[in-house]
Amino acid sequence: MAVLLLPAGLFLTAFVAYPLFLLLRDSFYEVSIYAPTEGVFVGLDNYAKALTSSRVLESAQRTLNYTLIALSAEFVLGFGAALLFDALGKRSEVLRTIFAFPLMIPPIVAGLLWRFMLIDNIGIVNHLLETFGFIADSSDISWLGDRDLVLFSVALPNIWLTTSFVALVLYTGLQNIPAELIEAAKIDGASAWQRFRRVSVPLLRPVIAVVLIIRGIDAARAFDMIWIQTEGGPRFASEILSIHIYRNMIRYGNVGEASAIATLFMFSMVIISAIVFFSIWGRGTSQS
Amino acid sequence: MERATLFALVTIIVVVYVFPYAFLVSTSLKPPADALAIPPTILPQRISLENYRNIATFPSVRQSFGNSLTIALLSTLITISLAVPAAYAVARFASLAGKIFLIAVLITRLIPPVSVGIPLFAIMRSLDLTDTHIGVALAHSTISVPLAIWLLASFMEGIPHELEEAARVDGCSRFGALFRIIIPVAAGGIAVTSVFVFLASWNEFLFALLLSSTSVKTAPIAIAEFRTQYGIQWGTMTSLSVLFSFPVIIFSLLMQKRIVAGMTMGAVKG
Repeated sequence: MAVLLLPAGLFLTAFVAYPLFLLLRDSFYEVSIYAPTEGVFVGLDNYAKALTSSRVLESAQRTLNYTLIALSAEFVLGFGAALLFDALGKRSEVLRTIFAFPLMIPPIVAGLLWRFMLIDNIGIVNHLLETFGFIADSSDISWLGDRDLVLFSVALPNIWLTTSFVALVLYTGLQNIPAELIEAAKIDGASAWQRFRRVSVPLLRPVIAVVLIIRGIDAARAFDMIWIQTEGGPRFASEILSIHIYRNMIRYGNVGEASAIATLFMFSMVIISAIVFFSIWGRGTSQS
Repeated sequence: MERATLFALVTIIVVVYVFPYAFLVSTSLKPPADALAIPPTILPQRISLENYRNIATFPSVRQSFGNSLTIALLSTLITISLAVPAAYAVARFASLAGKIFLIAVLITRLIPPVSVGIPLFAIMRSLDLTDTHIGVALAHSTISVPLAIWLLASFMEGIPHELEEAARVDGCSRFGALFRIIIPVAAGGIAVTSVFVFLASWNEFLFALLLSSTSVKTAPIAIAEFRTQYGIQWGTMTSLSVLFSFPVIIFSLLMQKRIVAGMTMGAVKG
């Protein structure tokens, strides 16, 4: 049976584990992309630089904010949709099919499409907002040009694409709750809110944990949708860590420093995922 | 809540949901200049295929669709041939090695692609594989091999042990059982997994951006660069986006139920 695991094991060692080893090694060297063989060992210098650079710390903060914006919107909207589908029962099938549609849209297309819709002045979003009287003039909101707003704007295609994933997974979870439990709570006089709060949510806990972790990881690692919309601008206002690392490496050629930031980024992801996983799963009384 | 209210609510959500893509298709069918008309219109005033005809004037963009197809097919081939035996081992033999393997596979999901991408670029360069189809396909497979193992293992767990045991009694080796029993029975699961792997490669952006400089540029990169190279021509951009997402949508319409089931199952599995 080891023979069966061997090909995939070798592949992952060569193209995932070995690159990660190189990443770790490079993070201790000052090495330029233009002369990759002439690195100078600098110990923890790259880490010290990364942790004291305001640009790195700001992009770490932005990564966190972006993840929280995307994740909370997707979770609230997705949970709402899942409850609606559940309330509709079998008749929700067509709606669920339509709802699954954005799952199939390539992220690059989603990013471009939203960039197109969010253009100031002549974009369709501002035009519709103006038509319905939400804003006075179609140039009032500069979605991708306003530094305070841009992190929300670049999260829009992400929310649009993946709310359906959250909704469908939670819907499947809701379907798996035994109907007798809900009925029993109903007979005991529990209100709809109480049934949701005391029966559905505790039973869904493992599914919720998995959804939050998967979507959180994906949002934190986002690159293409933001890159296609703003390349991290205006003036770094949407530069999250993956974009900062890419730019530091490719545009500025600082392989060592980029590697140190990437290493820190990776370990933070593992630690945060583990904390979220154990705090949600561990407190649960139910097992799936 | 009233049934009617529920339906109204869901319908509103769905309309809001479908609108952006419908607007993309609608814009692609307008005459090119109307893409940025003031004020913008939702439906075309006049149907025109000129945005689609314009694509022909950019041969490098057309070539990039061929590159994407080659790379996605190669990546599917690599991934499935590596993942099928591994998934079989994981599904059938609950050993320590299998468990460690699964955990390792799970951890790869936590790694930001940009972390692997940088050193992967160096490795591909030393193997002389940058700017080759196989190089990009290998990079894409690093994303899909773990996903494929998880999906396939859950499909294979559903296959009754008795089937293989009967074959073993009849003198079939373990490999024989894999090829003669498991693969044919799991063919549906393998097909769905292949679609996922194909689409993951077709849609991938960052590795393709790092690893393809000129001759094997994939469609997402070409579309992204199209913007900077020729200024923003939103009309052609929308027709390209429609053409690029079209195969994906056809695929998913053909296999919709299975794909959604696979996606949600993959999620619940990890």
